[in-house]
Amino acid sequence: MFQQILSLMVNLAEQTGLAQIWWGNIFMILVGAMLVYLALYRKYEPFLLLGIGFSCIVANVPGSDLTQPGGLFYYAYQGVELVIIPPLIFLGVGAMTDFGPMIANPSLMILGAAAHLGIFIALIGAKALGFTLAEAGAIGIIGGADGPMAIFVTMKLAPHLLPQIAVAAYSYMALMPLIQPPIMKLLTSPAERQIVMVQSRKVSRLEKICFPFVMAVIVNLLLPPVAPLITMLMLGNMLREVLLVDRLASTAANDLMNVITITLTVAVGSTMEADKFLNIKTLQIIVLGLIAFIGGTASGVIGAKIMNWFSGGKINPLIGSAGIASVPIAARVSHVVGLQENPYNFLIMHAMGPNLAGVFGTAISGGIMLALIGVK
Amino acid sequence: MTVPDTMEGAYILSVIDFLLSFVIIWGMSLVLYIFPYLNKLGYLDDSKLRGGH
Repeated sequence: MFQQILSLMVNLAEQTGLAQIWWGNIFMILVGAMLVYLALYRKYEPFLLLGIGFSCIVANVPGSDLTQPGGLFYYAYQGVELVIIPPLIFLGVGAMTDFGPMIANPSLMILGAAAHLGIFIALIGAKALGFTLAEAGAIGIIGGADGPMAIFVTMKLAPHLLPQIAVAAYSYMALMPLIQPPIMKLLTSPAERQIVMVQSRKVSRLEKICFPFVMAVIVNLLLPPVAPLITMLMLGNMLREVLLVDRLASTAANDLMNVITITLTVAVGSTMEADKFLNIKTLQIIVLGLIAFIGGTASGVIGAKIMNWFSGGKINPLIGSAGIASVPIAARVSHVVGLQENPYNFLIMHAMGPNLAGVFGTAISGGIMLALIGVK
Repeated sequence: MTVPDTMEGAYILSVIDFLLSFVIIWGMSLVLYIFPYLNKLGYLDDSKLRGGH
């Protein structure tokens, strides 16, 4: 009888995760715990990192079938794999965003393109390291500093790299306040950082209502590969700006956005399983992502410096780094760095223009990339 | 025709994509320069919109 009990206990133990755990799982559980720590104690993007960190920890506890077909995390991932979640996030972002600063000052839109040189530095670097061109393109798009766009392009070009790219994109976006300021200060003089910009004009309701319609038509016409994202962004923005359908705009910006955020973070975190995540490619992608962010920040600031020279000293080069996208984090960084130099210089609204243009810049880069690589 | 999966292809893709991004963004900004003229078509009152006319 004792033998029978022992045999049953051994059998029971073998069915738990304890028998399958290896050092990789423990390492990834620590990575998940670090993400939770960054969210909890450093306040870095808690809405994203808490869910990603939690599901990363759970996904690395062997035994559970949450990430297998039939498990809830698996179905959350289907929202990413079928490219349903990124457009819905853009719907919510559109409903939350006032594009007024971009409409008011179209000349600054060009910074949304200038700040994306990092994408191509990372792309060339990835190709040199032996990644395929499609993989290199997906890695490069980390430099677009736009989470949903990074997921969207990666799912089209290199879905097997989604965990690494999503984690790099969201982590670096959260770390923007640490990554960007040293580069911005290095490339600008104190006098440039103190430039006070002229207040932009007020944008009328009619202009704000027309904007999403016009942009949706342009993007669908010129950039079909990324049309699902920008179309949803513009739909959300239209719901916001018409003022007539507050309930819909509010649902898109709040309730729906919250549900989608939970689903997305669970989906991304659950892909961080040790056996898929722990390899040299992950390390390369993390480094290339950082290079992309640094390159984009630098090219944005240099672009704004060039505009400043042409405008006769009217543009503060600090707003250039906001063109990298990552709304509104990058604009806030420009504002804060400006305040450190001149406490009465409020750059936030000026930086929002390039910042919002950066969303279009990333979409344009991604769209052209998908078209040139031949992915629909 | 698509870009070849070579180092040269990566350079070509990067150059075309980066330059074309400028052109398209510049085109979008040109469209936005026309937006103030929309105001000549009329004025929309926020309070009336909120009240459903």
